[in-house]
Amino acid sequence: MSNRKECIAMILAGGQGSRLLALTKQIAKPAVSFGGKYRIIDFSLSNCANSGITTVGVLTQYRPYLLNNYIGNGASWDLDVSAGGVFILPPYATEAGGQWYAGTADAIYQNQDFIDGFDPEYVLILSGDHLYSMDYREMLRTHVEKGADLTISVMRVPMEEASRFGIMSVNEDGRIVRFAEKPAQPESNLASMGIYVFSAAVLKRVLKEDSKNTSSDHDFGKNVIPAMLAAGYGLYSYEFDGYWRDVGTIQTYYDTSMEFLAEEPPIDLSSKTAPIMSHENPDPAQFIGPQARLSNCVVANGAQVFGRAERSIIGSAAFVAEGAEVKDSILLPGCSVKHGARVLRTIVGEGAVVEAGASVGSLDGEITVYA
Amino acid sequence: MNTVIGLISANYDTPGLGELSAERTVASMPFAGRYRLLDFPLSAMINAGITTVGLITPYKYRSIIDHVGAGKEWSLDRKHSGLFVLPGSVYGISAPDSRLLIKDLRSNAIFFHRSPAPYVLVSSSNLVANMDFREITETHRSEENDITLVFGREGFLECFMINRDLILKVLEWYKTVEYMDMLKVLEPNFAEMKVGRFEFTGYAHTIYSVQDYFNRSMDLLKSEVREQLFRSDRPIMTKIQDSAPSRYLSGSKVSNALIPAGCIIGGTVENSVIFRGNRIEPGAVVKNSIVMQGCSVAEGAVLENVIVDKGNVIEPGVSLRGTSEHPFVVGKTKDEYAR
Repeated sequence: MSNRKECIAMILAGGQGSRLLALTKQIAKPAVSFGGKYRIIDFSLSNCANSGITTVGVLTQYRPYLLNNYIGNGASWDLDVSAGGVFILPPYATEAGGQWYAGTADAIYQNQDFIDGFDPEYVLILSGDHLYSMDYREMLRTHVEKGADLTISVMRVPMEEASRFGIMSVNEDGRIVRFAEKPAQPESNLASMGIYVFSAAVLKRVLKEDSKNTSSDHDFGKNVIPAMLAAGYGLYSYEFDGYWRDVGTIQTYYDTSMEFLAEEPPIDLSSKTAPIMSHENPDPAQFIGPQARLSNCVVANGAQVFGRAERSIIGSAAFVAEGAEVKDSILLPGCSVKHGARVLRTIVGEGAVVEAGASVGSLDGEITVYA
Repeated sequence: MNTVIGLISANYDTPGLGELSAERTVASMPFAGRYRLLDFPLSAMINAGITTVGLITPYKYRSIIDHVGAGKEWSLDRKHSGLFVLPGSVYGISAPDSRLLIKDLRSNAIFFHRSPAPYVLVSSSNLVANMDFREITETHRSEENDITLVFGREGFLECFMINRDLILKVLEWYKTVEYMDMLKVLEPNFAEMKVGRFEFTGYAHTIYSVQDYFNRSMDLLKSEVREQLFRSDRPIMTKIQDSAPSRYLSGSKVSNALIPAGCIIGGTVENSVIFRGNRIEPGAVVKNSIVMQGCSVAEGAVLENVIVDKGNVIEPGVSLRGTSEHPFVVGKTKDEYAR
């Protein structure tokens, strides 16, 4: 029986996301809780499933336990299929010794055997820490139509923010003519979203070349893409105009979370055609107590609210006691705010306990992380 | 080896539920915001380490099969053992007084012949409880009973443990009585058997009528009841729907309510149990009521002591009131309230 696939996905999920501070002390960034009941990697896994890509490698490295446990056999995303499925791909040892993934490109390079096993025509490379809903099939179609070697998904960002991204300059056909990683003087506002479709044979070749280059950091944005441009490969852009966020810092994590409080959230999480799926615990329905007051809140199952909450996200099985007040805050799953406590503009970590009468955070100034 | 197999009977009629069970069996009655009644005995079996469960389906089995599927959520989609769907006969439709028809046991006799387990734990599908079934096994085994009947504060809970050999003997002995309840047939002979009792002192109620359904739902608003039913060491598992967390709009007034994910609440909800996919618009009032999945209640509508079945739309300004003794039921088919 042939395992051959047209397209497989490789999700880079090894990063710490150190700027998320206490939120990623114990877990990798893709495993960080989001929106009450999700984890960030739910978005890319759901996108794969919703795009009909059922062979997915997940490259883990930093504190992978929770992520591995969470993904399991992929059943929560309907990815537990017999011809394919989800594969956790940690660094491994060989007769030549073992080594960590040195960079994004190296992580893929070290799993060339895995890719070869499915002999795909195309390889989709994703980051496990982005929030968006996208049908990869459209991007793949563009790639095939243009006869590209590599297609990079891009979006327009405000010009003043462009120097934070990898910036593309493209011709009228969408072909990338120049690429600059975090340029001081950006000449365009087309930013790379870190989503790549490679023709598998090209990927294999360029990764092999990159692996031999001792001065390379083995990173797609920094090394591989510039080298491919220089070598004259066909690099094309695919413009995405939907909602996309990289929650790299506490501030962006907080702001993005708050965007989901809107009556029409930026991503239709319960979409009939492209739902965001997650690995759910069997929590009971949420209970809102007799004295509770909830205004402009998102509440997940298993939560119990007896106090007041305003403009906040209350995660799975979180607890807000009577007499407690939560404002402009994000309560991550399983945390607890005890009687009379005040939580203002704070992210309360998973399982953290705000003791009775305590006061955490303030409505102005920096966002507090309480974990 | 696992010494116990589970058997859930769902092939009987509950006329007291009226139109609430017109298109579904009591086993698939929505309950507690996100469950079906069947989830309670089924989860209790899994939590007690039982890995083989037979489910005797009712004649109207669409909703129950839709819910349990291959038993994935209960870890019953297994290579060895797992969930066995045992088709029930049409006679369950007219059997309000029996739980386990001999006919249904006979037509599925192979399930009992094949298993090497000595004990069968039988539960009806309308029992709201979260028992530790291992304690029943322990009593049954240590007392060397033939049958151990489970009693709660309201009497017999239609849950018992029986030796598998005895079931096979019953099928031998009563070749001619098909449409009778197995326990009723055995009852006259209890004196010749070792029949034990297991007293369960926790929360346990069976649901037979609209009134039972309403009262048991309202019980869920008491913390001592929730604590007994929803325990982290014995979780109630159910079919997962990927609903987004619920949103409570500014201006919503919610108190003493059980609400699952997938809802948008803009109005007033008091002393009520709401189900998945509900939309309670700003200006709507829901009090002492149960609103099943996929409904919407428009601005100015008032529900008090009402049970609204799935998929209803309560139009603006419509006011429906029952009493706590006689809740008003908006059935699935009553479309004068629906678009």
